[in-house]
Amino acid sequence: MSSSTFTSAAESLYALATSAARSVVVVGTAKNAGKTTTCNALRAIAYRRGVPVALTSIGRDGEPADALDGEAKPRVRLAAGTLVALAAGVVPRTPALEILETGASGALGATVFARAVLPTVCEIAGPPTAGAMRATIDRLCALGAGPVLVDGAIDRVAALAGGDDAVIVATGAASGTTVARVAAAAADVVARLTIPGRDPVNERARVVLLAGALDARDAEALLADAAGATVVVEDPTRIAIRGALLARVRAVVDLRCERPLRVVACTTSPVGRETTLAPRALVEAVARATGLPTFDVVADLVA
Amino acid sequence: MIVDAATAERIGLDWLRAALAPVGAFGRRHDEQVAPYGPGDEDAARAEIVRVVAAAASLDPHGVARVRAALRAVPEPTPIVARARVGDPLGDVDFYELGRLVDALDAFARAWDGAGGAPEGRPPRLDALRAVLAPGRAQAGFYLADAFGAGLRAARQAYAIAQADLERRQAALAAEVRAICGVDAVGEEFVVLRDAYAGPLPAGVHVVRETPTYRLVSLALIAPERDAALTALSEEEERARRALAERVAAHAEPIAAATRALGALDRFLARVAFAQRWSGCVPEFGADVAFDQATFAPLAEALAARGRRYTPLSLALANVAVLTGPNMGGKSAALATTGFLAACVALGAPPPARSLRLPLFAQIAWVGGDGPAERARLLSSYAAEVVRAREVLGVAGPRALVLIDEFARTTGPREGKALLIAFLEAVRARGAFALCATHFDAIAEAAGVAHLRIAGVRDELLTSIDARDLDAALDAINAAMDYRVVAAHESRAASDALALAALLGVDPALVARARELYGP
Repeated sequence: MSSSTFTSAAESLYALATSAARSVVVVGTAKNAGKTTTCNALRAIAYRRGVPVALTSIGRDGEPADALDGEAKPRVRLAAGTLVALAAGVVPRTPALEILETGASGALGATVFARAVLPTVCEIAGPPTAGAMRATIDRLCALGAGPVLVDGAIDRVAALAGGDDAVIVATGAASGTTVARVAAAAADVVARLTIPGRDPVNERARVVLLAGALDARDAEALLADAAGATVVVEDPTRIAIRGALLARVRAVVDLRCERPLRVVACTTSPVGRETTLAPRALVEAVARATGLPTFDVVADLVA
Repeated sequence: MIVDAATAERIGLDWLRAALAPVGAFGRRHDEQVAPYGPGDEDAARAEIVRVVAAAASLDPHGVARVRAALRAVPEPTPIVARARVGDPLGDVDFYELGRLVDALDAFARAWDGAGGAPEGRPPRLDALRAVLAPGRAQAGFYLADAFGAGLRAARQAYAIAQADLERRQAALAAEVRAICGVDAVGEEFVVLRDAYAGPLPAGVHVVRETPTYRLVSLALIAPERDAALTALSEEEERARRALAERVAAHAEPIAAATRALGALDRFLARVAFAQRWSGCVPEFGADVAFDQATFAPLAEALAARGRRYTPLSLALANVAVLTGPNMGGKSAALATTGFLAACVALGAPPPARSLRLPLFAQIAWVGGDGPAERARLLSSYAAEVVRAREVLGVAGPRALVLIDEFARTTGPREGKALLIAFLEAVRARGAFALCATHFDAIAEAAGVAHLRIAGVRDELLTSIDARDLDAALDAINAAMDYRVVAAHESRAASDALALAALLGVDPALVARARELYGP
């Protein structure tokens, strides 16, 4: 393999995610599914290309050890020049960051926009509210020239719905004990997050607008009463049903959302705390189950 | 000044406090420490209101709005300075916030000058603190620059060199991994599939976990030089922060003075904006209450929002007076206006009137209506009123203003009238000021107090009204009503109730029957 023609999984993922989006949000199907690893890989590729990136998080990431089980976690690495939005309470003291401005306040203090002057590692706690995340990403875009990478969370990604952010779903051995289970879990998440936006031209004669979450009781009512209708929820995170029930609803009604998400890829991590899965089998299974390009940036595989 | 919640709501005190609320944290803190003016504070109250009126006349209102917006943006340095003074470590975000304070004070001074403010009224700038922070503030942000510590530059260079050396070694190892194993090792840990490469790993690559299909390996290099450089850098940066925090602590008093000045200015500008909006006057302090062309601002604002005009009120009250007049003639508004003007003066705001003379009151109390909501649920309307009257009598004294709105209307008229007369006698005996709105006849004479009345409906206008709907009727009544408060010479309390009922759309036959029953 010649290095001049070598295109790694991480490079391919970076090219795909940043080709049409200023911001890339990585969400996980479970805790320790590989979100931070995926973000670090994207950041490493940007650094390799000389592109200044910006980082932030929905929630708290990059802490040295898991708060629940004490296991070591991947640290968030900042190359010199990297922009970051993080809570004042977790701003690293050494090497010092250049503080650019402050934003909305939360439990860990104001959101601080800063730039790494020297390489460092840090913990990132993002904006205090889902609503503040959009403003934070916009501000990072305005402050820098490169893409914004967001270590995300599925339950708080609603604030980004309707934007042009590229969403990557990270899954892996943390989601299940077999390749089939991990693939099924990934397919389930992707099926919900990829509910399409409204299409006024092809909308059915009857349109049902659902306020709040689409739960099992709503699903039963739709199956009984709304066959053939277009059913619209606010955004994909409002869909609280999954698996066979979601599939049945989608088969019976035209399920849409006002503010869709743009899911562009999956990543897989074969290494769990207690489980290891076959990397190649996993990446291929997840690609088949989700219909999305799938990358293993740790084993350097693409499917 | 003691004002209970029910009275505050009736005289517009809640509205007034909101209208006079400072925009920034300093102003709110300052306001919490300033008590309303009471008896004995006449000179101070007058001095503040004189300053407010003068500033309202000289400052550009748009400029005042801009200055207040600038005030809102001033960050709060007090907790940071307090930590610096006791030797707690400060962080770079703290220094950034202090820099923002310095900038905000400069912006504030510019806005002040732009509004036409007098130089002596401009809050202090913190130029000395600016100079302290300057090395870290090439832009609007903050960086713990090399100039803050003698050893910082060298420590950073050493760290940068050691880190670059580590990264070079990592890159070389990653390139070797890529060449040998065919894996792009973008992170510290990566997977080498056995079916892709099963041979020996390059030196420096450590196996973390082995499985039948792959090896999980790590590129984490031991880097004692980088680690030592990082430790040294950490010590230098903390030393620089401590030194900088000590220099900040030395400026604690100027910073505190600046925040105190901003707090006082915030309060002052809130009153200036109020005066510019409502054209307040400087009150005179005397032994009676007299105002000319006064505006009950909360009502005027509510009317303006509905496209209606407010008619200013004039009134003179020597001590206790009864106020009669037609329904919808503004008796309650006159009571509220009296209380509102007294509250304005107590809070150091120019009362919205052409002129005002009054004493500073220690207490304002409203009697009449339902009273506190909780009590209204527990007691009948009459019981609630009487309990309220008992409480007010218990505390009313020479520096109390008692506003009585149709007291005892919820019981039989003979007993109610007797009770009201006795109540007014008791209020007068306590030396309190009181204004009592009522529809009962002959109260003033019986209680031995002055009798005022709302001039009432102009009959010639009333007869020409052709109201098509409620809005038109209200407009017509407003046009026909003479809201002036005048001395009453008759004992009868004319209410114009039947004429107004007709105007408000009550069946003409029903009104005619009522006239018949009422008599000539």
